[in-house]
Amino acid sequence: MGFGLPWVLVGLLAVGIPIAAHLLRRQKLPQQTLPTIAFLHRIQATRASRLRLVDALLLALRVALVAALALAAAAPFRVVQSNLLDREHALALVFDDSLSMAAMDEGQTLIERAAEVAIDQLRRMPEGSEVSLVLAGEPPRVWVRRSVELNVVRDALGELEPRSTRAGALCAAARTATELLLESELPDRRLLVVSDFTPGAKAEDCEWPTRGVRVAFQQVASSNPDNRRISTVEVSGERAAPGGLRLDVQVEGSNTRAEQRVRLRERGQETQRVPIDWGDGRGEAKLSIQGGPSDAVVELRLDPDDVLPADNVRGVLLGSDTIHVLLVDGDPHPDPRKRETAFIAHALDVAPRIGRSFAVETLDAQDLSESAIIRSDVLVLANATLDEKWLPLIQRFVGGGGSLWITAGDRINPRVYGSVLRELLPARYTATRTEDRPLSLSSDALPELDQAKVVARTPIAETALDAVVTARFSDGAPAMVEHRYRSGRVAMFATTIDDAWTDLPYQPVFVPFVLGALERLAGRSQHSVTPYGAVSLPGSTSSQRIQVVTPTGRTVDLPEADRVAFRETSEIGAYRVLVNGVNGERFAFVVDAPAEESDLLATDPPETRGDTAESVEDASKGTEQPLTPWLLLLAVGLAFSELWLRQVRRR
Amino acid sequence: MHRSPHRGASAIFKEHRAYRPGDDPRLIDWRAYARSDRYTIKHFEHETQLRGTLALDVSPSMHWGSGDVSKLDYAATLLAALAYVLTRQGDAVSLITFDDAIRDRIPARSGPAHLDYLMRLLAQPSASSGTTALHASLDKLNEHAGRMGLVVIASDLLDLSEDALEPVARIQARGHQTVVLHVMDPAEIELPYEQPMRFEGLEGEPFVEVDPKGIRRSYREAIDAFLETSQRRVVAGGARYMLARTDTPPEHVLLQLLRDR
Repeated sequence: MGFGLPWVLVGLLAVGIPIAAHLLRRQKLPQQTLPTIAFLHRIQATRASRLRLVDALLLALRVALVAALALAAAAPFRVVQSNLLDREHALALVFDDSLSMAAMDEGQTLIERAAEVAIDQLRRMPEGSEVSLVLAGEPPRVWVRRSVELNVVRDALGELEPRSTRAGALCAAARTATELLLESELPDRRLLVVSDFTPGAKAEDCEWPTRGVRVAFQQVASSNPDNRRISTVEVSGERAAPGGLRLDVQVEGSNTRAEQRVRLRERGQETQRVPIDWGDGRGEAKLSIQGGPSDAVVELRLDPDDVLPADNVRGVLLGSDTIHVLLVDGDPHPDPRKRETAFIAHALDVAPRIGRSFAVETLDAQDLSESAIIRSDVLVLANATLDEKWLPLIQRFVGGGGSLWITAGDRINPRVYGSVLRELLPARYTATRTEDRPLSLSSDALPELDQAKVVARTPIAETALDAVVTARFSDGAPAMVEHRYRSGRVAMFATTIDDAWTDLPYQPVFVPFVLGALERLAGRSQHSVTPYGAVSLPGSTSSQRIQVVTPTGRTVDLPEADRVAFRETSEIGAYRVLVNGVNGERFAFVVDAPAEESDLLATDPPETRGDTAESVEDASKGTEQPLTPWLLLLAVGLAFSELWLRQVRRR
Repeated sequence: MHRSPHRGASAIFKEHRAYRPGDDPRLIDWRAYARSDRYTIKHFEHETQLRGTLALDVSPSMHWGSGDVSKLDYAATLLAALAYVLTRQGDAVSLITFDDAIRDRIPARSGPAHLDYLMRLLAQPSASSGTTALHASLDKLNEHAGRMGLVVIASDLLDLSEDALEPVARIQARGHQTVVLHVMDPAEIELPYEQPMRFEGLEGEPFVEVDPKGIRRSYREAIDAFLETSQRRVVAGGARYMLARTDTPPEHVLLQLLRDR
């Protein structure tokens, strides 16, 4: 017997209420003299024994009534010990197919062994039983929903993928399985959880059903829990070799005495193999990539494989901190120093490489290409009025997460920007004008901006509600306006980015002004996801073919769309995105193994802690039958008995 | 005026009846014999000064009343009225108060001064600390009442012993006309209480806690039996029994008493 709400048992103290009332009533009776009291004594003499009995019974009834109500409120239940395997019942099988269950043990994975155990359970179930199969890897999946065809469930178990890269979702799977059980019309219900119960399963955090469902735990643990994983990889510039990169690899795990190495693979080819230097349970390895990376991502792999090979792999993004800037020059000049983009390109070239770097590509407006736009993070239109054919692409580019910075000049056409790109822009350009007296600039973030003087501008008007003015002219008019458009950002600058209308490029504040603007605009999407997580990628267009190359070399064509949620991320490692067969560094990403799944040291299942003899044979702890209805019935009976006894007492 | 139990010479003729052996020959009406040649006795109404004995129970139970008037007050009122009537017609009246013994005794006399003396005692009888012991008290009363008089006993008769009223018959046997006024409070008869209570006695009885609603029917049966038994025992002794409830106006009780004589 047990209680669903044991703390309510405190209510049992209320049994003192009728006792106290009984005692108080005796003490506080009003007094009355009566000469004929002898008759009362005579009557009482004949009633006394009966009254004492009735009073005692009344008190006992009231105490029992209060106790019954308190017990009923505590949701009591009794555990019926009987073997469910003798009769038809509903079974919900929670099958852990997380990464840790992919560990090898005696020539097979734990998933394969767990499937054998589950199939054996199903063979012993009587006909007419109902089975649901819920897989407990992230995300939890209902593999078989309430089927009485036991063969179907056995087949489904036999066909389970023996390997997995999934994180654990045991608790969510258990909730789903319990809901399926409660939907069943069969009175006997059993929840069987088959798992390795490693820390990643987090079984202790789950809320297991306490009433109406028998819960059984079947542990399938690895006999060799020694496992290692690459915990962190730090990428930094190689000082000894300019342009090169250094990878500091941290490895953690057990059984560190054996000789182990880290292998580096670039573009699917192994290029380096470095031994791991172990100390105090942690290993280190240092790799270097000379002459700069040949790809946006590389892959590291521990050698040799341990019992869980899936977490021995780690993808590393090499260019993840690089902001790709495409400068479109609307006023090209043969002398590079006199180009519209000369100053901003120089600023990016001299920018300190602290935490990020800039990859700059400069094109004349007439040389603009779709692939160049796709490759970039920020598209800077410097005094450029584009052919209208590019405008839909730019709109898709910004909507998909790219950023656009438009700077003014004598070549821009406010009408084009005001009509075709109106939806995209945070404001509207008006007619260019030359100032009689130079204006200065001001910005809260860059006070030194007031040193710059502006002699001409293309004023910005009709600022959008969501726009942010990051710089102003000394007359108060907006000089720099920014806002978000879908997944991207757009900025407008009211004067030139070269020295045609302003001396800003000659001011020391020019470099931080440009860097700040580009860093704000180049907001990035996440480049690292867990297995089966979704990654937002640009879809193919009629002129572009976007493909994803998975860590195992499988190529997936993306459908024709502006943006797609790529979900085929079951493999752990580095994913490369190809645009018309060429690497698109901006969209490289990696899928990391869920770290908590690498610990293969099994813990005791929740219900069998300290009792290793517990097994699935007894179909768990029995069915818990609620006793509350019976107690309420008893309370009603006691209440009626109390009323009847009160009448008896009066007679 | 009232009839005297004494028969004999008197100015008031009552009846003629046939002579029976044993009759006083002096009572033969010779004139009637001359006319009818039969011995006839001439019977006269005998008027004498009556000796009235009033007995008042002053036991603690008589001091109780559910309303403003206690049983003692009610009984004293009745006896005072009776004493007044007797005194006004020239009878001698004595007063005895009792509980388990005789507490006060005023010998029989007549006259306004004596009536005043009686009234004072009725208004403030001696305090009682004893219990009701009718048998002993009525025996003592019998000793003091003399013979051939009127004895009126006012009591709640709350002496439940079997022989409590036996002396009534002995009083009656001494030629007295005996009247027992059974004084009861209506609350004693009906037990009107609704709440469970702790009842306490007035004469040293232990308390009892009861729910009146639960025992009311049994109680009333017991009281009815008590009243019926009291009446039967009094009547069996040759005396008159009158129930005097304190919620009945005293004059009603007094008028009934005088009318029935």
